[in-house]
Amino acid sequence: MLEETLTADAEAADVALAGSGDATAFERLYRTHVARVHSLVRRMLDADEADDVTQDVFIRAWQKLSTFRGESAFGTWLHRLAVNVVLGRRKSVGVERGRFVTHEDPLDGVSGRGETPELSMDFEEALARLPEKARQVFVLHDVEGYRHEEIARMLGVVPGTSKSQLHHARMALRRHLDR
Amino acid sequence: MNDQWTDRLSEYLDGELETAQREALEAHLDACAECRATLEALRGVVAHAKTLEDRPPRVDLWQGINARLTPGWQPGVSRDTTVRRFARRVSFSVPQLLAASIALVLLSGGGAWLALKPDAVAETPQPTPATFTAVSWTSRTDQAVAELQEALTRNESRLDTATVRVVRQNLAVIDRAIAEARSALEADPANTYLNLHLANTMRRKVELLRRVNAIAARS
Repeated sequence: MLEETLTADAEAADVALAGSGDATAFERLYRTHVARVHSLVRRMLDADEADDVTQDVFIRAWQKLSTFRGESAFGTWLHRLAVNVVLGRRKSVGVERGRFVTHEDPLDGVSGRGETPELSMDFEEALARLPEKARQVFVLHDVEGYRHEEIARMLGVVPGTSKSQLHHARMALRRHLDR
Repeated sequence: MNDQWTDRLSEYLDGELETAQREALEAHLDACAECRATLEALRGVVAHAKTLEDRPPRVDLWQGINARLTPGWQPGVSRDTTVRRFARRVSFSVPQLLAASIALVLLSGGGAWLALKPDAVAETPQPTPATFTAVSWTSRTDQAVAELQEALTRNESRLDTATVRVVRQNLAVIDRAIAEARSALEADPANTYLNLHLANTMRRKVELLRRVNAIAARS
């Protein structure tokens, strides 16, 4: 308990110092949070995009430190920022490529299960094979703990769509856990 | 498998069905082993999702990030409003800044200090969370610095003379800076720059003492 308090105090100091232009303090914030941010990004996007987008998240955080009011933990604020960067990037990439969610059935993306030679597939790999919307909803709801109403707002869909995508994602993933 | 019920299993699992729907589904589950198995499998997926561990990137991304922290460009100032003076919205009191800054250093190290002073843990009073305040932190910081300095005095024989001399010169410089910052803060207690400067200087002192003690411990 005491250690948690000290850690929070130390992080508050680093946020203040980074806000005053201290890159060393910002590096400490980076070291503390990079695993969580990178994991979020990697799960929601293609793995080969994760490094670039993670860098973008921290650059954006550096730029937006003045909007952090300390009402929540810095990690919570950074995490939400990462979600926004991921979703914003996906939208722009989708427009550029003209293929933002071309299929709605999440099960299509994992239909190769029976053709895969390995007897077991890493859960993260199975997750990566889910279609984009189902993957995003699953990550945001089951991994990150967002509610359907929040997810629906972020994705620009109705909550019912979020629930439906989540169910399809879970159904697809349970087949991999069953193997 | 009855798709009518299967499609509602996630909502049931998440407690999002209305009472009548939930009761109807539970009645179906009593009679349908396949749906019960599917429900358990979905429960397993949800549980598994919560156990996923975060992993850092395979390569350190900091250098790339640091290179993009534009020199001369203050954080908190958006690119299109650079003429607007940076104004912090996060505010910290003097003791909060000071204590939290030092807390970072004390948390990040101290192992060597404790190794040099095995009874330090027993001797150091541990404040309870309820009594942990900025004021108590300031006194804890002073105590920590004093103990680090005592440890250095005891163990400086393990260091060569030149190192001890350089360390003492640096400590003297830091102490002067601390004294000047404290003096300036008495006249202008709310000055953000002075607060940060004092916190940083105190942090440097603790860091220096900790590092020197670590070197002595290895000698």
